[in-house]
Amino acid sequence: MPTLTRRIAGSLATTLLLSLPALPALAQDSPHRFVMVTHGVPSDPFWTVVKNGAEAAADEIGAELEYRAPSTFDMAKMQQLAEAAVASDPDGLILSFTDEDALGKVVREATDNGIPVITINSGGDLSKQYGALLHVGQSEYEAGQRAAEKMQEMGVEKGLCVNHEQGNQGLDQRCEGFISGFDGNADQLATSHDPTEIRNAIVAYLNQHRDIDGILTLGSLTADPMIQAMQDQGATDQFVLGTFDLSPIILEAVDAGELDFAIDQQQYLQGYLPVIFLEQYAEHGLMPAGDVATGPAFVTQDNAAQVIELSKQGIR
Amino acid sequence: MNTMTQTRSPNGGDERITAIPFWKKALRRPELGAVAGTILVIAFFLVAASGTGMFTPAGIMNFLEVSAQLGILATAAALLMIGGEFDLSIGSMVGLAGIVIAIPTMEYGWPLWAALLLAFACAVLVGWVNGYLVNRTGLPSFIVTLAFLFILRGLAIGLSRLLTGRTQIGGIAERIPGDWFAALFSGEVGSGLFAWLAAHGWIGTNFAGNPVVTGIPVSIVWWLALTAIATWVLLCTPYGNWIFASGGDANAARNSGVPVRRVKISLFIFTALSATVFASLQVMDTGSADTIRGLLKELEAIIAVVIGGALLTGGYGSAIGAALGALIFGMVQMGIFYTGVNTDWFKVFLGVMLLVAVLFNNFVRKKAMESK
Amino acid sequence: MMSESLSMIEMRNVSKHFGNVIALNDISLKVHAGEVMCLLGDNGAGKSTLIKTLSGVHKPSHGQMFVEGREIRFKSPAYALDAGIATVFQDLAMIPLMSITRNFFMGREPTVGWGPFKRIDWHYADRIAMAEMAKIGIDVRDPSQPVGTLSGGERQCVAIARAVYFGAKVLILDEPTSALGVKQASVVLRYIAKARADGLAVIFITHNVHHAYPVADAFTLLKRGSSLGTFRKDAISREEVLNMMAGGAELESLDAELAEFQRDQGAASDSSASSAAHPGNGTPLTSG
Repeated sequence: MPTLTRRIAGSLATTLLLSLPALPALAQDSPHRFVMVTHGVPSDPFWTVVKNGAEAAADEIGAELEYRAPSTFDMAKMQQLAEAAVASDPDGLILSFTDEDALGKVVREATDNGIPVITINSGGDLSKQYGALLHVGQSEYEAGQRAAEKMQEMGVEKGLCVNHEQGNQGLDQRCEGFISGFDGNADQLATSHDPTEIRNAIVAYLNQHRDIDGILTLGSLTADPMIQAMQDQGATDQFVLGTFDLSPIILEAVDAGELDFAIDQQQYLQGYLPVIFLEQYAEHGLMPAGDVATGPAFVTQDNAAQVIELSKQGIR
Repeated sequence: MNTMTQTRSPNGGDERITAIPFWKKALRRPELGAVAGTILVIAFFLVAASGTGMFTPAGIMNFLEVSAQLGILATAAALLMIGGEFDLSIGSMVGLAGIVIAIPTMEYGWPLWAALLLAFACAVLVGWVNGYLVNRTGLPSFIVTLAFLFILRGLAIGLSRLLTGRTQIGGIAERIPGDWFAALFSGEVGSGLFAWLAAHGWIGTNFAGNPVVTGIPVSIVWWLALTAIATWVLLCTPYGNWIFASGGDANAARNSGVPVRRVKISLFIFTALSATVFASLQVMDTGSADTIRGLLKELEAIIAVVIGGALLTGGYGSAIGAALGALIFGMVQMGIFYTGVNTDWFKVFLGVMLLVAVLFNNFVRKKAMESK
Repeated sequence: MMSESLSMIEMRNVSKHFGNVIALNDISLKVHAGEVMCLLGDNGAGKSTLIKTLSGVHKPSHGQMFVEGREIRFKSPAYALDAGIATVFQDLAMIPLMSITRNFFMGREPTVGWGPFKRIDWHYADRIAMAEMAKIGIDVRDPSQPVGTLSGGERQCVAIARAVYFGAKVLILDEPTSALGVKQASVVLRYIAKARADGLAVIFITHNVHHAYPVADAFTLLKRGSSLGTFRKDAISREEVLNMMAGGAELESLDAELAEFQRDQGAASDSSASSAAHPGNGTPLTSG
């Protein structure tokens, strides 16, 4: 009896498999290969966490993951990396969709060739037009607006947005959202990558524009020098200070009350989820119906301590 | 009595040396153009940023700190460029040195001084390898050090990802107090003096209501000291003469018995060390290390050296010029925030100002040469 | 002549190989104190290899070298300098951007002070540089002026004066006059004669027999890495030297070739002149 059932079940499975040729790679035994292309320069702590998430997911499900990113913020270089990824015919492509013009046609090319694409981090409003299956991330513009609202709740009248990478659509949108959240009553300060230059630029700008009472930075690269400038001057209480993204230093500052809030987009999930989703898609043809919003989530003094532990593990 | 014997000396050498007026000698100095460029830039900001506080003690300290950090790199880059070579790996060395300081301290509990010594040892090794490869292969240092620009940056990222899973390592500030070696790279000098000045109301208060200047950042002291030492070495020591000779014509120098290889290797080691000083200052200052630190600093250092009157082809230049180049660079970089120009135009402003400074300084130098 | 008793520098059966190439083959020569040896030879004859071997840049593959009768082996040019052999290279003598004094004392800077405060004694250095230049008749107004501001002959003289000042016993001059005008060359030649009178052994490399003949005591001819012999000045005339240098037979064939070339060129310029006229007329070119 058992042998018979097994035989029937076996043949049944075979017929089922043969009758479903449309689903890709269902019978494959070798692990699926996914390629992740992002614009995050390798030294950016934010993208380190995304990469950690993606690697953790790939480990859990036994998939192969290739992570690629240009060494400097450069759309042309990223486009080349994405094209190369498509040409390697992976089982799925994960792409940070920072630039419609540079990357739109690459996404189109991938979907035309039957490669499922999930966009992450930025470009959520556009990715569907080019055939991407799903977007995992947060709307930068709205996040910027939410930051402005939060600051106004805390009594800020004029805000300053410190942008360390002008030309990066995601960062530009955060600042634009922030400024629009203030109905235009906010400035943007463009700086370089150097911490001393950022810190001194903030001090110089504040000395020049004494009506500013709220400062938003766009990542830990600018948040650290800002915190330091405020600590040096003993002026942390004089301003409402907020930042995007989390790092151990940012979290400690939030915990200590020097930084009023940090906006977390839980980017670990932006790496983790797409890998899981693509695996499910490759394995069973499953895919969530709607985009996944991983943020914005505000970290304040109340919940900072919990987040700190996770951050040390490279998860937040 | 003394003058009598001098005039009677057989070749009349002495009194003719002294007969050359000081200003004529000054006109021949490489940094002359940079002095003119500095005056031009100061004049520009005195007009464009008048009444904005750029030239108050706080404003001056603000841009001097940026100048100082670049100036530390520029001094070493100047000596190397005079010696006929480039080092494009300086910026990446800054990133790597920071990581080498931070990882042993924060991950393995080393005392800060030991981590600093390790970073300086790494710098000596990197400089030696750079110099050795340039000497050995005869390839342009431009190419060899360009390779190390990538290798060192990649090592910084790779090592910190491997050992910590992050690219930014914080918490170092808490380890500074009581560390004898870290004290050299942190804090301010002369805080007593400034506190005294503030107590007498002679310096104003800033946006936070604090005395605008609490002391001279230690980076400025490093900058001035390194510039002074480099100038002394170039102008007054045999080693300085060898640097000029190695860069002016390595073959001629070698034929005259100058140890060209040793000179060049030592200069590469010096640039790597200066990058490590820069990294140490920034790590102590910010309390964190980040693999992205020092990005593009190699080019900024070269710009500062060239503004300072050095020739890209080697054999000519000065450390004072490089310091002035760094001063101009820092002033322009911070100055835009006082001028009211929208910071969207930051890089255009920076580029145009640097170009104007170089052109003006070139013009002045040519005029000076003609008038001789 | 006292020369037989004291040979200042001597090469005995020296060969130098670069891989398969034999750059010098069994060269022997002797130069005495107070003697000018003129080294003649065409390009590729091995003159530069010979100089570089004497000055310690190359090590001989075979053979021995002696300075004042003692055998020597140079590990680097610095050793040759220490042994009193100074070489003045044709174009590598001076660094134009550096001052006269800096050039003069390059590699051998006089210092005062001690430890980290050891510094160049510029006052002394400037004085010596000016005095030495004055000795050879060059009036330097300012020893801190760049060497690039001196004329070519003056630069050669600085290089030679430097070698002499630092106690050279053997002076090797690589085509010191070839890039100079008549007047400047005579400054250098006069100085060579003076160096000989001071008891130096001089090895003088040149193409120009008119420069070589007046100051030389002996001539050594190199061809394809081998020596064709050494001739005393009293045993050979200016014309014979000239002939030997160029190679009489080769000169004759060169004459013939030149004549041929001139004929060809004359024809070519004729035809180009005539063909250039055609387009001007607007008529199509015809072969002609």
